Amino acid sequence: MIDVENVTVTFDDVTAVRDVDLRVDTGEFVTVIGPSGCGKTTLLRTIGGLQDPTNGRVLIAGRDPVASQSDANLGFVFQQHTLFPWKTALQNVTFLRKMAGKSPRPGRARELLEAVGLEGSEHLYPSELSGGMKQRVAIVRALHLDADVLLMDEPFGELDEITRDRLSVELREIWRQERKTILFVTHSVPEAVLLADRCLLFDGPPGRLVASFDIDLPRPRDERVFESPAFQRQVAAVRSALYGTRTEPASRTD
Amino acid sequence: MVGPRDDDSVEWSATRIEDVLPPIVAVVVLVGGWALFTAFASVPSFLLPSPIAVAGRLAGNPELYATNALATLERVVYGGAIGIVGGFALAVAVTFVRPLRYAVLPYIVTVRVLPKIAIAPALLIYFGTGRTTSLIFVAAIAFFPTALSTIAGLERVDRRYADLLRSVDANPIRTFYAVELRFALPDIVSGLKQSVTLAVVGAVVAEWVVVDDGLGALVLVASENLLTDVMLAALVILLVEGLALYGLVVLLERRLLWYASAESD
Ligand SMILES: Nc1ncnc2c1ncn2[C@@H]1O[C@H](COP(=O)(O)OP(=O)(O)O)[C@@H](O)[C@H]1O
Ligand SMILES: [Mg+2]
Repeated sequence: MIDVENVTVTFDDVTAVRDVDLRVDTGEFVTVIGPSGCGKTTLLRTIGGLQDPTNGRVLIAGRDPVASQSDANLGFVFQQHTLFPWKTALQNVTFLRKMAGKSPRPGRARELLEAVGLEGSEHLYPSELSGGMKQRVAIVRALHLDADVLLMDEPFGELDEITRDRLSVELREIWRQERKTILFVTHSVPEAVLLADRCLLFDGPPGRLVASFDIDLPRPRDERVFESPAFQRQVAAVRSALYGTRTEPASRTD
Repeated sequence: MVGPRDDDSVEWSATRIEDVLPPIVAVVVLVGGWALFTAFASVPSFLLPSPIAVAGRLAGNPELYATNALATLERVVYGGAIGIVGGFALAVAVTFVRPLRYAVLPYIVTVRVLPKIAIAPALLIYFGTGRTTSLIFVAAIAFFPTALSTIAGLERVDRRYADLLRSVDANPIRTFYAVELRFALPDIVSGLKQSVTLAVVGAVVAEWVVVDDGLGALVLVASENLLTDVMLAALVILLVEGLALYGLVVLLERRLLWYASAESD
């Protein structure tokens, strides 16, 4: 579904991403983890067609990302909620779909808001919503595009740990039901492990792919996963690779 | 990031009796003190007439004040509207046409420093006396605050929102309307407030220099003839007119920017 071929992104004097090759299959949930400033956001923006690669190319469903933008086949969720303060939760959700040129489906928007526990809050303004609720609205807004691909850039980064864990479990469930292809950037190891079918380890700058982990945990996953030894083991493995790369960059696949 | 940005205006909203009472008391004390002072101190009335004399002037010839108030209002509204619409249009043009921006912006910023009042005599030479010249003058003076604030506001648009809309290939004109303009609104309104205030100043100056009606002209003629009570009466009406116009913009602001004070991040 997503093909990144030998992509390099250079800003004036900084190379943010270098020679990255990766592939995300249809229906796969892939997380990208790496330290701050290693080029994760740049990679995601390049995949979404918001940033042109200096070298290499990105294909989504075999076509240029710009074509996917035109079809509203990409749903972005950013670290900051980017909800419009003068629109209600529901209006925010329907507005983006409208701007994408798709036919309005207010009933469906309400359904999605209910599914993430926002029934009764549809008509509240962002200033009346908690941080977690705002990110839920932002996720629903992306889902409501009916895009096949969701690109998420640390969407839970500004939330407290409890809310973050809860939303991670919810997002897994949404992904399972809606059958999306998700590329999710984070700098939290437990989050990267909990969410993923596959977790990619990034390091930089310049950002490059240093390892890939297949996450073998029960599906569907719920809060109990956090307690399981398998989860702890996976987290430990990713963590040691993450800190290991600081001294000896090496590629490995578990 | 969304919030009232006009740092030069002191917001004051009266909602409780404790807030409304002190200013009313202050006015009563001031006018009362003035009345007592003129009654007991022997000041000649051409220096300081009593408030009763001023009120008497207003009541004695309401048409005079109404006619002139209307003349000033017309000048402020038409001239101000031309200047504000022009300033807004220029700001939008300069935002979209980069070469135009580089060509025009330095001069606008420079000319802003010039006290616009100083151009009134120049306008007199080029356009002569009369209504058109007064409108040009008011428009020129109201133009700058709206133009500059709108340019600044459109500049401030959050890239993250622009990215969001780009990611669904949204129509640029609809994006401009729904996003850029909305985010610039606090700046635009703050420019509007300054433009309206300055339009009143401009109308008065025009009435001194290029036309001979309106409250400004009345103030001037009255003071030349030592009709101090007439002059004060005209100033009171001018104050009321200026406040009413400013109040309209504040009402507009409350309608449009209700969310600004509620949003914390
Ligand atoms: N628009 C830009 N212009 C110049 N440098 C940039 C730009 N965007 C990102 N960078 C640089 O690229 C590097 C990677 O940034 P980013 O992709 O935001 O990393 P991350 O999301 O992993 O924190 C950083 O050194 C950053 O300063
Ligand atoms: Mg980032």
